[in-house]
This record gives sequence, C-alpha cells and structure tokens, in this order.
Amino acid sequence: MSRAIAIGLKIPDNAAYTTLTTLQRLGIDVARVERNDILIIDDAGEDALRRIERDERVFNPNKHRLTDLGVAQPRPGEVWIAEHHAPPGRYVGWRLLNRAGAPVDRETLERATTSLLCNPAIETARYQTREGTL
Amino acid sequence: MSKRIAVLVFPGTNSEEETLRLLRDCGGDAHLVHWSRAKLLPQFDAYVLPGGFAYEDRIRAGAIAAHDEMMDAVIDGAQAGKLVLGVCNGAQILLEAGLVPGTGTVRRPTAAFTRNGPVPHFICRHVWVKLAIEPKRSPITAGLKDGELIPAWAAHGEGRLAADEAHLAQIERGGHVAFVYAHRDGSVDASAIPNQSALGAAALVNAQGNVLAIMPHPERDGWAFNHPDRRGRAGILEPSGGALFFRSFVMGVNR
Amino acid sequence: MAEVDSLGLALRPDELRKIEEALGRKPSVVELHAFDAQWSEHCSYKSSRHHLKKLPTTGERVVLGPAEDSGILHLGEHRGERYGIVIAHESHNHPSQVVPFEGAATGIGGIVRDVLCMGAEVIAVADPLRFGSIEDGHAHQRYVAQTAVDGISAYGNAIGVPNIAGDVYFDERFDDNCLVNVVAMGIVKESEIIHSYAPKGADGWDMILVGKATDPSGFGGASFSSLTLDAQDEESNKGAVQVPDPFLKNVLMRASYAVFGYLREHNITAGFKDLGAGGIMGCSAEITSAGGYGADIDLDQVNVALEGLAPEVIAVGETQERLIWVVPPDVTPHVLRIYNDEFTLPQIAYNARATVIGKVTAQPRYKLRHRAETVMDVDIEFLTGTIRDELPYEEPQVATSVVDEAPLVTGLQDDELLERVLAHRDVCSREPLYRRYDTVVRGATVIPRGAADAGMLAPVFGSAMGVALSVAGNPRYGRLNARAAGEHAVYEAVRKVVATGAAPIGLTDCLNFGNPRNPAHLGEFVAAIDGLAKAASAFQAPFVSGNVSLYNEAASGKAIPASPIVACVGAIGDVSHAVTSRLKHAGSVLYFVGSPQSALGGSVLIDVLGRHDPRLPRVDYELARAQHALVLEAAQASVLRSARSIGNGGLVVALCEMAFPSLAHGMKPIGVQIDDSWQWTHGAVGRLEALFGEAGGFVVEIAPEDIEAFEGLADDTEGVHEIGVTVEQPVLSFDSEAYDLRRLHHLWSTPLAEVYP
Repeated sequence: MSRAIAIGLKIPDNAAYTTLTTLQRLGIDVARVERNDILIIDDAGEDALRRIERDERVFNPNKHRLTDLGVAQPRPGEVWIAEHHAPPGRYVGWRLLNRAGAPVDRETLERATTSLLCNPAIETARYQTREGTL
Repeated sequence: MSKRIAVLVFPGTNSEEETLRLLRDCGGDAHLVHWSRAKLLPQFDAYVLPGGFAYEDRIRAGAIAAHDEMMDAVIDGAQAGKLVLGVCNGAQILLEAGLVPGTGTVRRPTAAFTRNGPVPHFICRHVWVKLAIEPKRSPITAGLKDGELIPAWAAHGEGRLAADEAHLAQIERGGHVAFVYAHRDGSVDASAIPNQSALGAAALVNAQGNVLAIMPHPERDGWAFNHPDRRGRAGILEPSGGALFFRSFVMGVNR
Repeated sequence: MAEVDSLGLALRPDELRKIEEALGRKPSVVELHAFDAQWSEHCSYKSSRHHLKKLPTTGERVVLGPAEDSGILHLGEHRGERYGIVIAHESHNHPSQVVPFEGAATGIGGIVRDVLCMGAEVIAVADPLRFGSIEDGHAHQRYVAQTAVDGISAYGNAIGVPNIAGDVYFDERFDDNCLVNVVAMGIVKESEIIHSYAPKGADGWDMILVGKATDPSGFGGASFSSLTLDAQDEESNKGAVQVPDPFLKNVLMRASYAVFGYLREHNITAGFKDLGAGGIMGCSAEITSAGGYGADIDLDQVNVALEGLAPEVIAVGETQERLIWVVPPDVTPHVLRIYNDEFTLPQIAYNARATVIGKVTAQPRYKLRHRAETVMDVDIEFLTGTIRDELPYEEPQVATSVVDEAPLVTGLQDDELLERVLAHRDVCSREPLYRRYDTVVRGATVIPRGAADAGMLAPVFGSAMGVALSVAGNPRYGRLNARAAGEHAVYEAVRKVVATGAAPIGLTDCLNFGNPRNPAHLGEFVAAIDGLAKAASAFQAPFVSGNVSLYNEAASGKAIPASPIVACVGAIGDVSHAVTSRLKHAGSVLYFVGSPQSALGGSVLIDVLGRHDPRLPRVDYELARAQHALVLEAAQASVLRSARSIGNGGLVVALCEMAFPSLAHGMKPIGVQIDDSWQWTHGAVGRLEALFGEAGGFVVEIAPEDIEAFEGLADDTEGVHEIGVTVEQPVLSFDSEAYDLRRLHHLWSTPLAEVYP
C-alpha cells in the first residue's frame, strides 16, 4: 500500500510566510500556511522511511521535519501541486489553516489554489478525495 | 514631450539599475518606481519589468509578483494599450499575470516560463535571439529589421516556455513567439536553445502587440564594454548590441 | 569548568580564570557566551594575529588597510571624484561541510555585508572552492561539492551581484574539510566611506539593529568554526548553522543604499557594521569600542522571531542578514522610515525591521539588559581587546630530493599525456560549474567568468575605468611546501590579472590551515605567511583585508593541504584595452612570455604520471615583474589580440584553452601550430617541461602587423619567445603531430559536466 511522506522545514520557512501574506492580500481567509515536499512511497515498511531519512539529498535532520501521513492523499485543507512531467509521486503540498488552527474549508482551498498556488498551464492540483479512497 | 517609462522594482528585483540606464541611453525618459510607491504608476506611459527574483520566485517564478499591487496598474495600462516590456523575471511575471500570451484572462496564466530543461538548473550563458514576427506586428519591435539578431545573456533557472498542447498551438498560430533562440550566424536549431523552451521561444508577445515578455537580457550586452571581443576600439561607453532592442522599445513608446 | 562544558563552550580554563580575575566575580551565563564568542579564534585571531603582522599592508593605492570589515584600494578618478574598491575575503568552510547549501549561501551573504557596511555598492563576488575527491565511492564529498555550489548560486544570483572569478580544486585531503572561500568587492566614492566604528562625538547616539528577526539559528557559530570537526559532532554542529535569506538581503542592500544617499545628502557621518561572529554582542561591542566608547544595549528591544529566547541566544546568536548603525538620534527616524516604510522590511520577512536597541556611551563599559536586569557588564576593552596565544610551531620539513629517480622518458602521444592532462580534475573545463552563477547582472561586466583568467567590470557608470579580480591557491603546492604555496598563490593571482591588461593594485587572503595547536600545522601557517609576504612585497601588491580559517582538520587528525588562498584586484584606466584569452584570428603570431624551468614538481603532469617530485618552480621576481610590465604595456598599446596566463597544465593547456572557444557554433575554428625548431627552449629544458611546466608566464597572440610594435616593447625583456602561429584548421600541432582540437575539447569539457550536469 502506498503512503505519503511530508518533508517540511523546521527552520523558518520563508516561502510559506510570503505565501501566507500574499493569500491574505488576496482576501483569502487563512492564518497559517505549511509547505511540505510530498513523497509517495509504495513500501509500507519502516525501511523505506529510514532510507529517506538517510538520503542527505532529500532529508537533513537539522533543517527538515518528516511526517508520515499514512495514506497517500492530501489532508483536509491541503492541496498537492505537481508539475506536468514531474517524476510520479512528487508534489509540493500546501496546507492552509484558519485562525482557530483548523484546516480551511474546501472552497477557500480551491480559491487559493486557482488564484495563486497552481498554474494549470504547467501544474496539476490534487485535493483530498472522498474519505478512505485514493 | 517624451513619454515617461516606469521601471518597476518589486522586492527581489535585481536588474533595475542597468535597465534604467540603458533605457535612458537609448533616449527613454525612464524612472525607477519602488513597490511602496505603486500609487504613482498610473501616471506613467509605459512599463518595464526588469530581471531579478521578485519575492525570490517563491511558489513559482513570477507568481507572487503577479498579484502585487504594482501589477494592478500594469494590467490596467496594458489593457489601455500602453507598452509593457518584461525582461527575464519581468517576463515570468507577465506570463503569471496572464498578459502574455494573453490567450486567457488576467491572472489566470495559460503558459509559463518554467524550470529549464533538460537539467533543472540556473544557467548563465551568452545567447542570440532572432526576431520571429513581422517587425510591425508589435510597436515594441517596429524599429527592428526583419529577422534581426539581438545579443543577450540568458541568466535564468526557469526560462523554458511550457503550456498544454492546445495553448502551445494557440501561441504558435497566433504569432505570439516574438523571438526565438538562434546561433550567431542566424541559423536556428535545437542546439541554440539553452533551456529546451517550447517552439524555441525566447520571447512572447500578446495579440495586440503592446506587451512583450523576453527571457534573455539584452541590457547585459547593452554597451560596447559588455563585449570585450566584439567592441571596436572607440566608443566603449556607447550603447551597442542589445541596445538595438531597447532603442526599438523606446521608439515605440515615444511614437 | 563543568559549567563551561555543559554550556558547550570552547573557552579554556586559563581564559576562564582570566575573566574571573578581571571581573572580580563569576561571569554570568551571558558573559560566558560573550567571551566564548569574542575570544574565539574566529573573532580574536588570538593565535594568528602576530604572524599576520608580517604581511605588507601599505602602499600608494591603500585607502584603508586591514582594520575594519573590508579593505579599500584606490581605483581611479572620474569627474573629480576618487573611487575606491572595497574588498573582503572570508571562509565558510565548516558550515559548508556540514550543511553545504546553507553554509555556502550564508558565506556569500556574510561577505557581502562586510563590503556593504563600508558604504559601498556591492559589485562582484568570487568563490575559491576546494572540495574532496569526487571519484566513485565519494558520494558525500560529491554531494558537498554540488550542493555548496547550488548555495552560492542561489544566494549570489538572487541578490544580483555577479560572480566574476573563482576556482575549484578536488583533492581527497579536503574529504572531511571542504573550503568554501568567498570574496566580495564593492565600489565607493572615497569621500563617502562609512566606517565600522562609532564616529567622533557619538556619545549618546542610537544603535539601530537592521534586518532579520533574531532567532535561535546560528547560536554558537563563532566557536563552532574554531573547533575541529568530529564526525560524531556533525549532527549537533548543524544547529549552529545559519539560515540564508537572499530575498531579504536583496531588499536590505537596496534600502541601505538609500540610507547612504540620505546621509550623503545631509552630510551626516555615521557608523555601520555587519553582524557576523558573536552576533549583536560582537558587532555592537566592536563598533563602539573601535571608536573609544562603550555600549548600553537593551535586549528586549531586539526584534525576535519567537518569544522566550534566552538572553545569551539573543546576544550572541548568529542569525543572518543583520547589521548595526550608529547614528545621531535626530537621524534615527529617517533611517527607520527608509528601512521599515519605504523598503517595507516587516513585510519582506517575518518581523524583519530596523529598530533602536541601545545607546553609545562615553563610559567604556559593555552592558546588556534583559527583562530589566543587567545580564552583562564588563570593561569593553577587556572584551574586545587583543588577546594573544603564543603557540609553538615548527618549521615545516620540505623535501627537496626526488624520491622517484626513474628518468622522465615518456611518449607524449603513446601515453596520451596531453589528453590525460586536459581531463585532469584540476585542468578540465570549469564551465559546468560557473554557468550556474550569474556573471553579468548589473550590466557592468566587461570580462565574464571563463572569458579570461580574471573577471573585469566597468564599475562606475559613465567611466571607462575598469577593475579586475582573480583568485589563486594551488593545493598541489600546499601539500609539498607551504611557503612556496604562499608565494605562488600571490604570483598566480597577480599574473591572472595582468593577463587581462589590468595592473595588480592589491590583495586579500584567506588562510586555511589545520589545528594551530599542532606545531606542524602552525608551522605551515607561519611559513605560508612568509611566502605571501615575500611575493606581495616583490609585486608591490599590499594585503588590505583577509581572513584566517584554522582547525580545518578532521578528528582523525587528517588536515587539509596548506591553503593560502589569494584574491588580486587589478586596475585598468580604460576597459577598451582589456584583453580576453580567446584566440581571435588565424594568421597571428604566438609568443610565450616566460621562462621555462626544469621543475615539474607539483605539476598536473607529475600527478598524471603518478610520480612524486617536490621540486616546485622558483619565482624569479625580477623577471616576472619585467614580463608583467611588458604584457601591460602591450595591452595598453592595443597589440594583444589575446593573452592567457600559464598555470595548471602548463603552456600546452593554455594554448588549448585559448583555441577551444573558436570551436563554438558559427565561429571560424582557429588552431595552433607550434614552431618545430623549439629554439625557445634553448635546449635548457626538455619538451615535457616546456609544454607542461607550470613556472608561470603568458601566451600572447599578436597580429602580423603588430609584431614590430610588440617586439619593440619586448626589446630588453628577458624571456620573450616566438613559439608559433595560429592556423585555420582546428588542430594543435607540433613536431609534425597534429591533435584534433575537437577531440581535445571533448576530453576537457566532459569531466565536470558529469558532476555539474
């Protein structure tokens, strides 16, 4: 079964900060933006995880935080952006949270995606599908 | 009275000074306008978006800048027929703002200058670009000869034109490819393209011809001293090479 | 000491005792951290400063010698204004070894601030790099080599400063300690220099902290770069590495230029200094004590990225992208307005801003307050004054006899020597690497990277005067003889600038060595300085700034080769006389300006042959000076079609590299035919020494109609030899053997393209 690994920065994420302020300027109601590199792995075992942790090109424990998302699909409030022709299973994930710290609703997320996060000429956006399915 | 050109400085722009100077050396009445002075922009007659890394190209090259307040004035101006030129990052911003090729709606891009191929790295390399449209098709190129060759520097990590098939076909059919990459002898083939840009495109223009987005920097080969191997012994401080292109732009503005 | 250990500090017991005695009490935690940073080698140069005094630092062109964040050399005059070239040189070796992208990027970020704070516009950077082996089985070293270059590229490109010079060597002695040296250059009107000290009458002036919000990143950086790398420590060391933000820096630079404009317009003298090692404490203490003042800083006024930071973190943490101004209080609102409103710093990065953090005091004390408590109160001169470690050192043993006595008989063609030399890691094309750097942003570039041995700019708009920049430092020499490595570093850097037609006017150095507590390593350091001093004096090129990076040693005790790295600044009155190294026409006459020696030690050829030969070429200064003068006069007289200095791989490599650009699409190929008589060798040296020797000199290309003029100039110069002609065929030929230039070009351009695709 495949699952997603999210690799984000634990040092300040300058890009996420600028994205947040831009979304706010666009009138989109969001209070926090999290940005992660998303890797889909087919291996359910711990070995695959450890292999990623050991690959200095992908993961540096002093600047990165690694989260095992379990299933291979975006979380609520999260959109995954893939460049056309990018290697499969590679995305940039944007997770938007509101003032209460909860994921933003689907409408807000889609508005953020179409107005800023995704250029459909070169990228595809992927949202959470119905619960439990891929 | 000559028309006033605004050279826009977004946070992260880095080529504003040389762009300003070459415009002036080519007879343009050019002025820098910083982002905190966006309100001044509507008074200007033409806009130049110089190279750099506006907002450090966070999210995508040009994506955040396309939503900057300064772009409101540029979009209004472009729609009113003012001339708009984007160089490198400026070109990326114009595509993200949907002004070029202009086949969709504002701020809904239909194409992008994106990650170079085949290797997704920044490259800095001297190139030649060749006019690929009828000069009069755009007031910006009207001062150039048919098939004019312009020297420039490609200096970008995201300069490859990409779009879906339908939009690419539209770009090609609509005569939106203003310049293509070429060799110094004017020949055109895949080895002249530094980044695998679709259609060999180095620059795109909108249907009306008043907005042009060019990836390589003509202003970095804009004076005789920029090219030690080609310059004559006199006039080292004179505009030359890429200045041809800027002169044509200034002529278009002042016409 | 338990406390010092548990805080992770590098202060030694004797230093701690000295502090306790001076304070008459136990130092506070903040004070311990402050002294730890300030007394680290990185800040205090405690074991190196007295040796560095041997370097020549004065001369007609010196506007500011090594005293502040950068040195300044007089470039020339334009419209009645004198212009100075601001130059600084630094290492970011340890950080680049453990977190290569961030480490190398912040190296560029730091050196740029050193130049900026002199009131200068930053116009160029350069990057001498030394990486470990990139052969198979060295995946980590290869990763470091690739990723550090990515970091330099990402940062330099974004701030819009062209990278115009640099070099790179790969050597397994750098496997555990790469060297990422960085040079930055700026231009300033000499009447508008801003100094890194509180000016006269500054008592009561404001201290304004400008830039990024302080965060815990880079806490412990200064001491970190003064410790030996231990593989087990690599992980924990990473916490001390700083996070680059070139976007913020781009805006910070432009905002600072606007402040320079304001000060100029209102004729205000101020002080400005970069925050480097030791953070807010180091910078604020040095800028005030250098003016004879003290400082009173309120840490609660510091803009922070997160609440609850310990006072020592705020005080000595090395968050990037920060500087400190010292200005009169009535100027403060204008400085704040420019940074915060016009250039909107708070919107550029989280809580970035300009903010007043304290006052300059007449009383020479350094005080830090935090939450209404005084957490530091010390004599400022004791904190920042010179401390000195007289460490023992040994004169390095230099082998002089040849171990490998087998005669050098080898078939040039049978053994494919030329091919192997061209593909050697120290010779093959650097273009795949430097093509990732923007070398032409700012539009002032006259000679971009790769077009000659040095880069060149026309830095003052509207003026034809030019400035050239080169770097040099050969680790193959450093392995054999530190003193000679120092001499040759200067000689090579000077020669490279001369080859472009610019006169060398000054130098900077970065001295990268092993552990100074090892007498053998310190001995190499001392010997290298001797060599640098000798050559710099001979070429009348003073050192105006520099940096020392010691402790480049793995825990195993394996140290790097002695690595004195030098950058040379050249001046040219009119860039119309600039010379590039690309052959221009067939039918030119080629001259070798130089004197071949029977000394192949340290050469690429010797390495290719797998031999050991410690006999390095000697530098004949008198001869070199005369040859340099000839090349400069010939450039001035416009009789040089092209010129290249001879270095790695020798004369034959220089010839190839001059010819290769003619193979580009749409160009007419130009080849080289070497005169078969070989008279110029005078029978004194063999073919191999003549072709591959690295004793220096130049190849120059002269048009037939200029031969008379050139020979007239060369008249009384020793060592000027006509060696051949350029031809229309893409070949390199001698002794009736013709090498296919296209094949040679392929061999030369492939190796690094694989590492930097």
